[in-house]
Formats: sequence, C-alpha cells, structure tokens
Amino acid sequence: MTAAATRTGGWGIRLAPYLFLLPNMVIFAVFTIYPALNGFNMSLYSSSNGRVFAWEGLGNYERILTSGEFWGVVRNTAVFATSYVVLGTVLAIVISVLINAQRRGRTLFRAVYFVPVLVSPVVVGLIWNWMLDRQNGLVNNALSTTGIPPVPWLVDGAWGMVSIVAVGMWMQVGFYMLILLAGLQSIDPTLYEAARMDGAGAWDQFRVITIPMLQPTIVVVVVLATIHGFQSFDFIWTLTGGGPVGATTLMVQYIYENGFQSPIRYGIATAGGVLLFLVVFTLTLANWLISRRREAV
Amino acid sequence: MNEPRTGSRPVGPRLIAPDDGRRRTWTTTKAKPVRLSDALRVVVLTAGGLACVVPLLWMFLGSFKSPTELAQRPPTFLPESWAPTNYTEALDRFDFTLYLTNSVVVTVLATLLTLVINSMAAYALAKYNFRGKNTLFLLTLATIMIPLQVILIPVYQVVASLGLVNTLWGMIIPAAATPTGVFLLRQYMLSIPDELIEAARVDGSGEFRTFVSIVLPLCTPALAVVAIFSVMWRWSDFLWPLVVAQSEVVYTLPVALARFNAELTVPFNLILAMGVVSTVPVLVLFLIFQKQIATGVANTGLK
Repeated sequence: MTAAATRTGGWGIRLAPYLFLLPNMVIFAVFTIYPALNGFNMSLYSSSNGRVFAWEGLGNYERILTSGEFWGVVRNTAVFATSYVVLGTVLAIVISVLINAQRRGRTLFRAVYFVPVLVSPVVVGLIWNWMLDRQNGLVNNALSTTGIPPVPWLVDGAWGMVSIVAVGMWMQVGFYMLILLAGLQSIDPTLYEAARMDGAGAWDQFRVITIPMLQPTIVVVVVLATIHGFQSFDFIWTLTGGGPVGATTLMVQYIYENGFQSPIRYGIATAGGVLLFLVVFTLTLANWLISRRREAV
Repeated sequence: MNEPRTGSRPVGPRLIAPDDGRRRTWTTTKAKPVRLSDALRVVVLTAGGLACVVPLLWMFLGSFKSPTELAQRPPTFLPESWAPTNYTEALDRFDFTLYLTNSVVVTVLATLLTLVINSMAAYALAKYNFRGKNTLFLLTLATIMIPLQVILIPVYQVVASLGLVNTLWGMIIPAAATPTGVFLLRQYMLSIPDELIEAARVDGSGEFRTFVSIVLPLCTPALAVVAIFSVMWRWSDFLWPLVVAQSEVVYTLPVALARFNAELTVPFNLILAMGVVSTVPVLVLFLIFQKQIATGVANTGLK
C-alpha cells in the first residue's frame, strides 16, 4: 500500500482526502459558514441603506422585539407553520394510507399526487392567485354553482391565511405522501394478518399497527414540514405578496424586504435571520429528542 | 437491522435500494367482491387527484385564451382557438428565450458543479481515514440547519464583494455544496468494497483516477438521484436568483415571471403561457425519471 501511495504523483494517499474535500469545503466556508458568523455579527451593528455603522450590541434585537410589525410577522409565521405542519402531516398520512390500500392504480395515484410538487412555487402562486380571485376565480365560480357566496380568499386577512396554508399544502403534501408511502410499504404485512385473525377492524389496525410502525417516518415528515413551513416565501410572494395589509407576511419575506427593499435595514434583517434560525433549530432538535426518547422506551 | 455487510455486491445501501417491499403487499390476488369502502376510497382518491391536476390543466387551457376570454364570467372551459398566439406574443414582447436560456444554464451548470464537488467530498468522507474526518463530516451535516433564507444578507454581501451580483455564477456557486448531496453519496459509497479500491491502487492507479474510473461509475444510481433533485430544485429556485438578478439580462424564468406579474401592465394571458413553458420541462423529467424520483424522495427526504 505504501508503494502504491508513493507512486501516485501529487495524489499521495495522505493528501488525497483533503484535496477531494477542498472544493466542497471552500464553498461551504465562503458561502455558508462565514456568512452565518458574519450575519450574527452584522445583527449587532446599526446600519442604514446597506452601510453598516456602529456597534449596537443587542439594539437591533431590542428594536425588533419591541416592534409591533415584527410580532405581527412572528404571529403569522407561527400560525402558518403550525397549521401547515399539523394539517399537512395529517393529510399526507390520510392520502398515503388510502393509496397504500389500493390494489390497483397505486403508481398512478402516487404520480398524480406528486405532480404539484414539481411545479415551480412562483408558478403555483400565480395559478392560485388567479384561481382564488374573488370575482373571476375558478374556485368562487365553482362554489357559486352550489349557491355559496363568493369567498374573499385573498382580500381578507383571515381568509388570506387560510389560502396560503391550503396552497402550501396543495404544493407539498405529495412530497410527504411519497415519504410516508415508503414507510407504509416497509411495514410487515404479517402484522396486519395477525391483527385480522384477532378480529381487529380497519380502524384498530390503523391505530395499533400503522401509526406506531410509521412513527419514525412521521417524525421525518414533521421535521421536513417544520423546516418548509418556517421558510415559506416564494409561492406566497406571487400568491398574496404578503397581503392584505401584511396579514400573510412571513419571516423570510420580512428578512428579504428589510434586506433588499428600501429602506434597507441590514441590522434588522440579520437579527430576524438569527431568530428564525434559532426557532427552526430548537424545533428540529426538540423533534429529534422526543422521537429518540420514544424509541428508547 | 444489522445486516451482515457482504461487501461483494456493489449495490447501494438501503437508502436507495429499490422499494421491493411493495411486492409483498401486492400479493392479494384472490378476486374479492367490490366493497363499499373500496369504492369510497377510489372516489376520495380520485377527487383529491383531480384537485392536484385541475389547477395545472386550467393554466394550460388558460394559456391559449385571449384576455377577453379570461375575463369572461362564468369562465369558458376550452379556449376558442388553440392557436399559440400567447406563446408567440410572449416571445415577441420579452426576452423570453433569454430567460429560458438563463434558467437552463443555471440549472445545468449548478447541477454539474454540485455533482462534481459533492461526489469528491463524499468519496473522501467514505473511503479515507484522515485527521479531522469526523469533524468535517459533522460540519457538513450541520450546514443543513443553515439554509440560505436565514443568511440571505450576509451571503449576498459575500457574493457582492466577489463581484458576482448580477451574474449567473452568483446564482450557481453559493448553494452548490449541498450537504444532502454529500450525505447521500457518502452513504452510497460506503457500500463499495474497499478491496476494489485497494486493487486499483496496487495496479498503480492514482487516487483521482481510481475515483473517476472505478468509484464514480459504481455510483451512477446515487448520482442520478442527486442530479434529478438538483435540476428540479434549481429550475424552480426563486429567492436567491431574485436577490442576485438585478437586471433583466440575468433573469431566470421564475424571476421573470414574478417580476412581470407584479407589473400590472403585463397581460395575464402571456404570464400563463410563460408559466406553462416553465412547468413542462420538470413534468417531462418526472415522467422519464419517475422511479428514481420516487425512491429518492421516499428514502432521503431530499429537497
């Protein structure tokens, strides 16, 4: 081996792994790790229109934590992310269980439910903005045939929130469905046979076998949905633009607007980024710890 | 759980193994009478399936309609004419081909770059022992927790100081070193027998040549999964291109769509046509690589 290593001209076996890692690590260092540290640093300085000024300490945090606008965004993000994660996970479980119970057409249904995942979020926002139009949208037109009055999907604050949750789910549930379906298919079918012999009905089988056996997969889905939920931006940008009057403005949009739309406030935007990171990090960690403890029991 | 590692088969670990578990549950072949619950399930699934595809069908139909047709109440179902006037007009009015080209260039180059640097890093982490290996692996995984959204401004500052704002490279490079890609490829490479690499060394093959001519060909399934996901993600990526692309010359399709949609002067029928054009490629890709996408999503939750 040593002979081979010395013969490798420049690619010595000792040096090779570092050289293999180098490009990836340089990009990580320059575009992720340094910015992450610098972002925290920037959040401690005051700034105006893209120029960083004086040391502020926690001034930016104090400013945003006492600003009504910020708490509005926090509230929106929390409401959106919670509804999205809970409803999205439940819906994905229901769909995947139903598809898994199909004897025929399983592949077709799986593909059909996955199609929205493929569409660019910007386009998703555009389509649904049009479909949910109060006067002329397909949805309200369809509802009116059953006598339901037009719903102000995008022009009322509360309905706006309902709309972004629903559209977010439309766009992503197929993704979670696919993950869960794989989990369902790895459950040993003899478990169900045994349960049937014991006289367990469909609901009992679902409750006693499916859910416990699927739990690790559900944790994965919840973690992913939490990350997706807290970082939602693009489809909302073209669906509601954060409106009406900020009712659907979420954290990432707040960061983007403070960072890139005048008046530019880097300090505020980076402080928002740090807080968002802390929230997602804590939730992911909590999720992981809870699932580990359950497994240990 | 603790499968003995046979080491001789160059198949992937369970991460990307084909979902053969499916076949076990398929075996109920005895003809059973159709029950009410079965019928109900098909009805529910079909209704949900329609909800998934109708909006896209509606966009497709709408992309052939004129502005007056789009404004009609109640809406017409089929367009009056199937002439692609919206498509040709969109081409005439905007540098549509330019945005399309930009999107293709960013998607292709970013995917190639990701494949190259991720597979190299994965190989080092899977098949070498060296000082700092675990630290570097954990550091790689930890960056999953720091998505671009939360460090948007500091990354922008780096890109700006490198003079990459308003360039396609500025969109391509920053997110190229994906932690999930490294992780996935590393897991796959662990299943490649060490003897194979040792044998190449004994034959006098250099480290890099061994990697390119022996390891990479064995990793094709994993590389395919990473490539497909990179293409899908880059093609529809929006926030970062939006930040980097400040002039129309470097707009990608999603950026162009969002910008023009925000300008009320751009008629919606043209937006719909552009939306269809930006959607069709990923749908085609999906139809071709359905199996790889399904196993990729199912096993890694990549995105």
